[in-house]
Amino acid sequence: MKKLLAVLFSLMLLSLFACGKESDVIKSGETIKIGFLGPMTGDAGNYGKLMSQSVKIAVEEFNAAGGAEGFNAELIVEDTEGKVEKGNPAIEKLAGVDKVFGIVGAVFSSVSLAVAPKAEAAKIVMISPSSTHKDLPDKGKFIFRDVMSDALQAIVFGKYLAKIDNVKTVAILYVKNDYSQGLAMDFKAQYEKEGGKVVAVETALQGDKDFKTQLTKIKGTNPEALYIPNYVAEIAQILEQAKQLGLKTKIYSADGFSNPQIFELAGDLSNGVIYTQAAEQPASQIKKDFEAKYQAKWGEKPDAFSLNAYDGAKIILNAIKTTSSKGMSGVLKVDRDKVRDFVAKTKDYDGASGKITFTENGDLVVNIGIYTAENKKFKQLKMFKLDGEKLVEIK
Amino acid sequence: MLNFVLLIFIYIGIYAIASLGLNLIVGYTGLLSLCQAGFLAIGAYTTAVLMTACHMGFWESMIISGFLASLFGILIGIPTLRLKGDYLAIATLGFGEIVKNVILNWDSVTKGPMGINGIPGPSIFGTTLSSMDKPEWIVIIWVGVVVTYYFIRRIVRSRIGRALEAIREDEIAASSMGINTAKYKIGAFTTGAFLAGIAGSFFAAFNQSVAPLTFDFMMSIMILCMAVLGGLGNSFATIIGTIIIVLASELPRLLGISHIIPPQLNQILFGFILVLIMIYRPQGIIGRIKLNYAKIVKEEIFDLEK
Amino acid sequence: MNLFNIPSNELLQHLINGLTLGAIYSLIALGYTMVYGILKFINFAHGEILMAGTYAGYYFYFFLYDPSKGATYTIGIFIAALLIAMTASALLGVIIEKFAYKPLRKAPRLAPLLSAIGVSIILANLAALFFGTKSKKFEYPFDNSSMQIGGSSITPNQLMILAVGLIMMAGLKLFVDRSRLGKAMRATSQNQPVAALMGINVNLIISLTFAIGSALAAVAGVLMALEYKVYPTMGTMAGLKAFIAAVVGGIGNVNGAMLGGIILGLLETFGVVILGIPQGLKDTIAFTVLILILLLRPSGILMKNIREKV
Repeated sequence: MKKLLAVLFSLMLLSLFACGKESDVIKSGETIKIGFLGPMTGDAGNYGKLMSQSVKIAVEEFNAAGGAEGFNAELIVEDTEGKVEKGNPAIEKLAGVDKVFGIVGAVFSSVSLAVAPKAEAAKIVMISPSSTHKDLPDKGKFIFRDVMSDALQAIVFGKYLAKIDNVKTVAILYVKNDYSQGLAMDFKAQYEKEGGKVVAVETALQGDKDFKTQLTKIKGTNPEALYIPNYVAEIAQILEQAKQLGLKTKIYSADGFSNPQIFELAGDLSNGVIYTQAAEQPASQIKKDFEAKYQAKWGEKPDAFSLNAYDGAKIILNAIKTTSSKGMSGVLKVDRDKVRDFVAKTKDYDGASGKITFTENGDLVVNIGIYTAENKKFKQLKMFKLDGEKLVEIK
Repeated sequence: MLNFVLLIFIYIGIYAIASLGLNLIVGYTGLLSLCQAGFLAIGAYTTAVLMTACHMGFWESMIISGFLASLFGILIGIPTLRLKGDYLAIATLGFGEIVKNVILNWDSVTKGPMGINGIPGPSIFGTTLSSMDKPEWIVIIWVGVVVTYYFIRRIVRSRIGRALEAIREDEIAASSMGINTAKYKIGAFTTGAFLAGIAGSFFAAFNQSVAPLTFDFMMSIMILCMAVLGGLGNSFATIIGTIIIVLASELPRLLGISHIIPPQLNQILFGFILVLIMIYRPQGIIGRIKLNYAKIVKEEIFDLEK
Repeated sequence: MNLFNIPSNELLQHLINGLTLGAIYSLIALGYTMVYGILKFINFAHGEILMAGTYAGYYFYFFLYDPSKGATYTIGIFIAALLIAMTASALLGVIIEKFAYKPLRKAPRLAPLLSAIGVSIILANLAALFFGTKSKKFEYPFDNSSMQIGGSSITPNQLMILAVGLIMMAGLKLFVDRSRLGKAMRATSQNQPVAALMGINVNLIISLTFAIGSALAAVAGVLMALEYKVYPTMGTMAGLKAFIAAVVGGIGNVNGAMLGGIILGLLETFGVVILGIPQGLKDTIAFTVLILILLLRPSGILMKNIREKV
């Protein structure tokens, strides 16, 4: 017993002494560290895995292109398990031990909101690829995201359904997680404001795979359309069970649908589902190249969040490369404020997810694409931007 | 690195308060409870709501959190009068899930799955602590741990403690000795819940945010592991158990290998630590310390004479 | 007609949904209850054993699956996959018992529980490491288009779940009640030392119990996989709920496990529907009712409440 304690404490002491290095100056032979923060294990582990693989590719490309003044970047992936209390040690480790210069993450809004003040305090640029909660960008100067906010996506879709697709009645089925609930609530408010009628709001728990009870109830209300702003595994279940129950309505979803895994899980049932996603520039070669690279390296396809993660990592690395300089005796000097300012100035950056421009507070300026799935392929139908209260189609 | 180690010690302190409370229920009284996370959640959310929506200070909120949690402790204590062993465990498990489920669905108060953010820190001597002020936090929380430790020590070395242990060893014999088992069993639950509520309150104020999925069944299980691993019915061992569980779950990060090994290995390692310790030290690492009643009684008499 | 707020045309549909859910819970609950009956301990890794067996069956089926070879072939490999899943789970259950639980038979009560939790964490994460965290689709071995009965739909798979569930439970019941080994099992669960004195190989019986319970879990796993896909945490929540069902039915009692499972399935479906509140609250309703049942029947529905005597 005493031995065990002695070993543990000496380990801790050792690690205390192992890190007396000066921050913001990278000695030759060391690497520029950036972090990824997301769920790598547990129920949501797959989302973190897909996104971290993107960041990995970005880092490898950066290094292959010579890095910053010959200094290579290194990715540190930390697992949050999708939980706030695991996110805190993770960010403390990235900030205090690894002294990263940028973080791609966190994945869930609840975790991002919790870790943001810590990234801000440690002057780490944080770009979340998937936290859609509307309050996130306001959490600090160093906090950005390259995914569109719930509010924007839901407002556009609310208007689109009511005014353009002329859907009169909608039932909503969402899972009680921050992503789905945020979208469902914002959509409901906007759609009702536009004169649409929400005839049923049904919820499910994170991890649920059986939605037959909810769908049976929804079927009873006979809606014209069903809105399911969930992640891909749940969407696939809902599509299948809706068919089994004979629920024949138009189905609308959100960017969670953009994961190509939907075609494996739901097959032809994915046909005709209409969903929102950040609009992509016509024929983006960058996206195609990245998807091919991703497929070749990891043997699976990236989802929309992974594209965001890739772009976020590229933006951070690019900022580090541009703003850092060689100092005395071959060290690399990185100025955290300069990195932040460079990231903030990002305008029309050509990314895999589309053109990226940050607003004043670090949110994404974005056009919203209306997509559908057709024969196991995603297809953009229309593109909109929000001009004040008005929905303007971009041709 | 220092910050990170300090953070771990803050977590250890918070969990220690909760696991000391659980040890009173499971270790001393012998009632298997699987809802400590539920009480923690009640404490954390009470503090979060009081501090953000009602703009109350931390210390008042903390006390209210503790009492609210203990109120639910009474509620869940009542089934203990009828249920035994694993049946009781299931009732408490169900209760923990209900708490989580209600928090998740009560959007108007708890903000549902989003959780509550921007919880201010406690004010102490006119300054408000943020979660960056780790040394101050360590002092506050470990004072809490020490107070809890001595509080429980006082309880278990008094008549109450002897009554609790009597119930654990043989309930029927205890009640035939004139011990009001109902009173003591509910009392143990209430006290354990109170401590979990306080721990939850610290948890909310330190993390400055709470989210419902944090307080899942796994958290109850982890707290139970802390109490069992060191040795049930031994407060010192519970603290050691807490240190080991928290360190073990952060071990790869402490060793700086968390980004080299796949994240699942971290968890697998943790699972192995649990299995191996149980196989080699099933009574816990330290085990139960038999109290020397003769000595205690002597000390008490000595105190009285003074 | 409007019974408890439920339109009559939905009533049958909810009943079908609830019963299939309940049948799956029942199958899982059987494993818990058998192990508990003999060792008096909660095999927390049961849900993960289910998951591991399902993966074994899934990979076998996935590599041989070829719709062009006709329906008989598909059903053939499906049955083979089911048997492989059962064997894999049974083996795993027996191995885990030998390494993680057997050394703890005489240990304090909570030690094997913690050991089981450790095993379950190890298994779930090993699966995530080797098989990935993504959901995988277990293709139906038959056309799963739903059929209409009185305005409600039922799928062939739901029918299969109900049928297989019934067959497995009846088979287990016959085995435990009628066969020599079943008798030995019951004897072991009542009094281990005496059973050993009667010449029963207790270790063998315990291994057998783990094997049967785990194999039943694998059946539930494959049925679940068809309905809900295969993923590393598939057994965790279902396992926990099945366990609660087993206790409410009266743990250690085979009939109780079936009854508890069905009750839980129906509660999850009907509870919120009757009250007209969102399905997100189903756990609250289901668990509240279960706790109330326990308060009325402190040893589970089907167990006699034996007063402890000195």
